[in-house]
Amino acid sequence: MIQLTNIDKYYDSKFQRTYVLKDIILEVKEGEFLSVMGPSGSGKSTLLNIIGLMDSPSSGKYLLDGNSVLDLKEKVRVDYHRNFISFIFQAYHLIEEMTVYENIETPLIYKGVKSHDRESMVADLLDRFNIVAKKDLFPQQLSGGQQQLVGIARAIISKPKLLLADEPTGNLHSTQGEMIMETLKELNNEGMTIIHVTHNEKFAQYGKRIIRLEDGNIRSDTNRKT
Amino acid sequence: MTIRNFVRKPVTNLINLVGLAVSLALVIILSVYSYSELTTDNYHKNGDRVYLFGDLTKGIYTPAILKEHIDLSVPGVESTVRMASAWEAPTFQVGNNDPITSDLLFADEDFFKLLTYHPVEGNLESALKEPMSVVITTMLSEKLFGSDQAVGKTMKINNDKELTVTAVIEAPKANSCISFSAIASVATRKIVFPNGDEFTEWGWCNYQTFMLLKKGINPDETAKKILALYPEIPPDNSAAKLNPFTKLYFSAFNVYGNSYLHHGDKKKIMILVMVAALVLMIALVNFINIFSSQWLDKIKQTGVMKIIGAKRSTILLNVLSEAFLLFLVALFIAIILVGMINPFIQNYTGIRFNPQFIYSPGFILLSIAIVFVLSILFSIIPALRISSSNAIDNLKKTIEQPVSNSFFGGVLVTTQFIIAIVLLAFTVLVQKQVNFGSSDLGFNQNNIIGIKLTPQLNGKKEVLKKLLQEKPNVERISFTQYYPGKQISHWGTHQDINGVKKQLSFDTFNADATFFGVLGLQLTQGRFYSEDLTTDTKKMVVNETFLRENKMENPIGAKFVMGMGMDAGLSEIIGVVKDFHYKAVNEPIVSLVMQNEPNAFYCLVSLQTTDFKSLHRTIDEIKTASSQLSPSFPVEISFFDQAVENMYKSELEFQRTFSLFAGCAIVIGCMGILAMSLFMCQRRIKEIGIRKVNGATIAEVITLLNKNFVKWVAIAFVIATPIAWYTMHKWLEDFAYKTEISWWIFMVSGMLTLGIALLTVSWQSWKAATRNPVEALRYE
Ligand SMILES: Nc1ncnc2c1ncn2[C@@H]1O[C@H](COP(=O)(O)OP(=O)(O)O)[C@@H](O)[C@H]1O
Ligand SMILES: [Mg+2]
Repeated sequence: MIQLTNIDKYYDSKFQRTYVLKDIILEVKEGEFLSVMGPSGSGKSTLLNIIGLMDSPSSGKYLLDGNSVLDLKEKVRVDYHRNFISFIFQAYHLIEEMTVYENIETPLIYKGVKSHDRESMVADLLDRFNIVAKKDLFPQQLSGGQQQLVGIARAIISKPKLLLADEPTGNLHSTQGEMIMETLKELNNEGMTIIHVTHNEKFAQYGKRIIRLEDGNIRSDTNRKT
Repeated sequence: MTIRNFVRKPVTNLINLVGLAVSLALVIILSVYSYSELTTDNYHKNGDRVYLFGDLTKGIYTPAILKEHIDLSVPGVESTVRMASAWEAPTFQVGNNDPITSDLLFADEDFFKLLTYHPVEGNLESALKEPMSVVITTMLSEKLFGSDQAVGKTMKINNDKELTVTAVIEAPKANSCISFSAIASVATRKIVFPNGDEFTEWGWCNYQTFMLLKKGINPDETAKKILALYPEIPPDNSAAKLNPFTKLYFSAFNVYGNSYLHHGDKKKIMILVMVAALVLMIALVNFINIFSSQWLDKIKQTGVMKIIGAKRSTILLNVLSEAFLLFLVALFIAIILVGMINPFIQNYTGIRFNPQFIYSPGFILLSIAIVFVLSILFSIIPALRISSSNAIDNLKKTIEQPVSNSFFGGVLVTTQFIIAIVLLAFTVLVQKQVNFGSSDLGFNQNNIIGIKLTPQLNGKKEVLKKLLQEKPNVERISFTQYYPGKQISHWGTHQDINGVKKQLSFDTFNADATFFGVLGLQLTQGRFYSEDLTTDTKKMVVNETFLRENKMENPIGAKFVMGMGMDAGLSEIIGVVKDFHYKAVNEPIVSLVMQNEPNAFYCLVSLQTTDFKSLHRTIDEIKTASSQLSPSFPVEISFFDQAVENMYKSELEFQRTFSLFAGCAIVIGCMGILAMSLFMCQRRIKEIGIRKVNGATIAEVITLLNKNFVKWVAIAFVIATPIAWYTMHKWLEDFAYKTEISWWIFMVSGMLTLGIALLTVSWQSWKAATRNPVEALRYE
């Protein structure tokens, strides 16, 4: 599904060129659950952003679902974000002025789903994550784990093929973190491809495959035995 | 601390400062101007006992002979003073210097008893006693005599008789409805400008009659006594009263020509004061918006809120003093700005005031005090909001805070839009009215020049005509008493027309046969007179209003007596012209009689349209030729259309003032909206990122950001339309001929406001929407 070939990412400052990613070669197949680990500043977020079409590599090739996705027109890129890729963030990034319900509904509005259909789709997810009672609350009124659940609900409501999670458990207690990881695992079992970044060895083990980044290079790439 | 804060956000702070400074500058200009207008003539010692006799709405011209009768038989009057300008500005010549054209006022010798002036040289009490004496202003004295002492020196008037300077006065410090450069007695006028039966006939109304009443005398009863003096009360003056001099400036009386008497327009001043208030309001709204946004951000950033609970008063003081400092800096910039733009403002808008006034310590202290109050008043709301503990608690958990904040901001921005729409609509209307006023006057005004006939030219009219005819491009030449903006005689007589007794009241001037062709006037009945004066004497052409007012159905051939005394004789109406606006268009057209008498003040020359260069060469040649015929008097040549434009000078200046102020208001408002959108985008940067990640396009994000502004403009439009309509309606009330308040004025203003707002806001929205969401969403 994802094919990265010789991906470089660097920033030019006045005197030097700093490489964040260097010669990354990575293939991710549909249905995989990939954990990305590495020290802070090693380029994990950058890699995820490039995969998620939020950032573009300085050089290299990127095939998504067999199509090159470099230098996309805005319209095509937005289409990918509407139908193919979703994100979860460490800081949840919910819209503070909107209720839980409205937050989850947002992607559907941009996708152009009819209001009646939206209602039932949001209701299903609220039900699934056991947060029906919270639907009229604002994000600040929820615990971190609950906020991240809302974040996941918002991410998957558009039924994406690829879910990208940048340290989704970084702000959570371990029990809440585990709950989130369980949810991701469940989604993966249903067939969703997931790439998640984590610092936590235990949570990394939820992935079927683990890569470790160091100074912009992939140091190791191991498949977990099941 | 304040300076550091300023530097941290230079754009918004600059917007705040510049907006405040410019609006304060406008407020200073207008308040000083309004003050000087509103205190007009309040400095005369006896001012409260001085009155003008006449009917302000119909006419204030009275016969000279009236004074003699008042002096004789109205006991309550301490002193009566007639005043009249010289019909045409005369020339003064000292020795063999170049003659200087100057205005000249004639008044009776008690003039300085009624009105207070300060002499630099000479004694005002006796200055006008002797005939052929003259009192001049310091300004004229400098022109004529340089730095020499003027009293005792003589000067030649119109290259003829000699006047002796008996006093020099300084220009009054405050505004007055009376202004002159030189003043001589009425007795002098009798000698230098003898004018028919001006002093013996009740029908010759060339003067204004002012009087000083004794203390405690009732003006209304005195007016009745004066009216009783008339052998026959003229129609114009049947409701004549004694009008208090101190209120004269803001009365709408009519004077003709280069009069010594001016009036102001209270409504205009009110409107300008309102506009200044609106400009200030827009700047203050900017101030509140920018100021409170900044403080909210700052508090969030620095975590000051922890200490607020304990030391709320410190924060309050901090906020207030920063506001005051900003206002103070703005005030000083404004004062410097006023000094810089004052000459431009005076030229462009005709707003005149004494610029020294703004540097006086009294004024500066007062304005600092006002600015202090303003800054406290307008920062106390944000200051309280900031320091109130509720808002602070909510800063971290920002549930309702952004909502209330955007609502508050919304109300303020809507207010700005309302002001913008009203001002724009009004600007369009003023423009429309001025265009309406000067567009269709009913006569041709292009490619005509006017040569003012000096006494020497007047004697050589036929020679002048011959000379002009030889010049290229010259089409027609006419001699007339009419010139746009110059004095027009007004007559009131009782007449017997075809056996019916009629009371006639009309404007009248002399015009020759070519006059009608030069101005392109349209005949509706009868004929114009022929060029041959020998057969066509004592003929008259009247306008349509003359027929209407005097209910004449068959005017052609009607005869009545024109002229007085020796000249009097029956004249015959031979033609009727379509009404045309020979006076300013906001004055209603009245009855007009044109006679083919030879006496003229101007020579009109119509020129064929050719290229600009050759036109100017012709004008130069005309100037040289006529100057040769008039060696002792400078010849004035002017463009007819410019003279017409001068008749609308006050409207034109009002239009300019208004557009200028409205323009400033809108620019300041725009800057405020820019700052608002800047804040709004900054505050929503994360939200925008989230939305984009969730599939929003750039267009959708921009729409989201602009939506509020569109909503506010829409609300503002609904509120502004009736306000604008009402003020327009009020303003137009004063015009005899008014333009329509068309619906498109509002549409244009609304659309323009929307356009300007969207353009301003979209700049920021675009920047925010095209940003890479990665930056906004990076976890810090
Ligand atoms: N816009 C940028 N300009 C320069 N350097 C950047 C920029 N964005 C990220 N970096 C650098 O790239 C490196 C990798 O960042 P990131 O991918 O966020 O690391 P990680 O997520 O692994 O902690 C960091 O050292 C960061 O300083
Ligand atoms: Mg990271």
